[in-house]
Amino acid sequence: MPSMGASSTIGLSGSRLKALDKYFSIFKIQLINAFAYPADLFSRVFSMLIFMWVFLQLWTVTYAAMGQTQIDGLTLRDTLWYLMIAEMVLLSKPRLARTIAENVKDGTVAYLLNRPYHFLLYQLSVGLGDSLLRMVVNAAAGGALIWLMLGPPPNWLGVPLVVIALLFAWCIDFCLNAMIGLLAFLTEDVSAFEWIYSKLVLILGGVLIPLDFFPDWLRDFALSLPFAYTTYAPARIFIDPAWSDFSGLLLRQVAWLVALSILLGLFFQLGVRRLNVNGG
Amino acid sequence: MAAISVHRLAKSFEARQKAAGMRGSLRALVRPVKRLVEAVREISFEMDQAELLGFIGPNGAGKSTTIKMLTGILHPTSGHASVLDFVPWKQRQKLAFHIGTVFGQRPQLWYHLPAVDTFLLFGKIYEMDDRETERRIAFLAEAFEIQHLLETPVRKLSLGQRMRCEVAASLLHKPRLLLLDEPSIGLDVVAKQRIRDTVRRMNDEEGVGILLTSHDAGDIEALCKRVIIINHGQIIYQDRVSALKRQYLTTKQVDVRYDREIETAFTFPGVQVLKTGRYGMKLRFDSRRTSVERVISGLAEFGNLVDVTISDPSLERVIRTIYEADETRRKGERNGHA
Repeated sequence: MPSMGASSTIGLSGSRLKALDKYFSIFKIQLINAFAYPADLFSRVFSMLIFMWVFLQLWTVTYAAMGQTQIDGLTLRDTLWYLMIAEMVLLSKPRLARTIAENVKDGTVAYLLNRPYHFLLYQLSVGLGDSLLRMVVNAAAGGALIWLMLGPPPNWLGVPLVVIALLFAWCIDFCLNAMIGLLAFLTEDVSAFEWIYSKLVLILGGVLIPLDFFPDWLRDFALSLPFAYTTYAPARIFIDPAWSDFSGLLLRQVAWLVALSILLGLFFQLGVRRLNVNGG
Repeated sequence: MAAISVHRLAKSFEARQKAAGMRGSLRALVRPVKRLVEAVREISFEMDQAELLGFIGPNGAGKSTTIKMLTGILHPTSGHASVLDFVPWKQRQKLAFHIGTVFGQRPQLWYHLPAVDTFLLFGKIYEMDDRETERRIAFLAEAFEIQHLLETPVRKLSLGQRMRCEVAASLLHKPRLLLLDEPSIGLDVVAKQRIRDTVRRMNDEEGVGILLTSHDAGDIEALCKRVIIINHGQIIYQDRVSALKRQYLTTKQVDVRYDREIETAFTFPGVQVLKTGRYGMKLRFDSRRTSVERVISGLAEFGNLVDVTISDPSLERVIRTIYEADETRRKGERNGHA
């Protein structure tokens, strides 16, 4: 293989670079592909605006009814910016579990498995390409609405910090979602697991109600599970980027990410051995 | 050196069975009934480098399962296989650099993007130099006559155009072996022929080995030198295509035309009349039992012949005959055991 020979003489760094380039190209083509679905993008922006509008009404009334400017340390503006980030994460996620399950059902997984890349890294690149544009558009739409109604984000330091937290949050969600998707290698239909997962994120991830408003025991319980680190962590860091909070949440994000990626790797090894491809 | 060598390769999996209706569903939930499906039963064969090998069988015979084991996607239940000296299911990603695959109607090209975008992506995925990729795209575009299609979003191509792009994409990284799983499914005659011609040309010029599965005998006839017929997960026939034809082409079909209308029915020992028209007839007979000479003279006595055509059965019929013989043998075995 002349091409492989050439890269191996350059050394490990050369072939590493080519591998990175490979995944970057997959990310890029998926990003370009995302522009091919403007209707999908608009419908997401539309739902983002509706959700934020509903939250805005709901919490304005709640704060007024309680006659307080702060609930558990959060102002109305904090709460809404928090919910904006959480909602943005939720609405920008790739439908990874469903995609993997569909690939198994219709047999396309045969193509995805016999190329010289790692199946999971391929899915990661595709997913990132899928999410990036949506995240930007959702953040722009939701952010504009909240800014207009309640004013700018509470702390500008939150902007650079949230980018890091979002990346980790996205990867944690990727691991959980991919594991659900890989169940399709065994069971074909994963929609039930997907449903349960999405509800867990809604409640224990603090998307519906910020975890700060929960009773202490429930909040601690939610923080001991991985779901909070996909949505609560970036949203909380954004509105209150105090260094202690940031480093604490980030550290836990990293810990979960390491644990879940190892688990996902094992899951994949196991799943591939048991895979049954349809249409054979 | 053999490109593929397969020894007693088998794959079975458990399928859940469920009776019809709500009651059946509930029962399956409480006490699932599992049935062992033996998709591939201990098959052995070899394929040489640069060979054109056809793999045919009816739906569910185990063709695709075999292909998927050879590409490393499925792990076999037992047996060995080596593809280009790799054990596919253990060295899947390494093997992937050297083989190309096309799975029937399952698209590998990005649907909303022009084909050239996918080609360039594959160049990266297979770790080719950019200049090498461009040269290769130009070459394949010419060979498959797709120069004018490369810039069009794939969704706007016809099925025939798309399949040409699909096959070209699978050859981008100069694989040594190309696995085509039902490449001509749904294509019209012209589109089929174009794909066959180009695939044969690539085999000639680049020495890429072709393993083709199809249930279209035309693909096999046009492309393959050797054929393996598989039924119920077992190889029931394995030989050169020419030998297959010679061995089974003893059934002759005759089309005759007379100068005036046929009034009485034609009967002749050993000859089956398939169709009688106003002036002509269609007949079939076995040339081992009834000689061609006797049939022809019988037909000549029947009236004034205007035209006679004697033809061999199509490969499709031959293959059907082999399946039917296999089914009868199986039935016999089953009854014998009982």
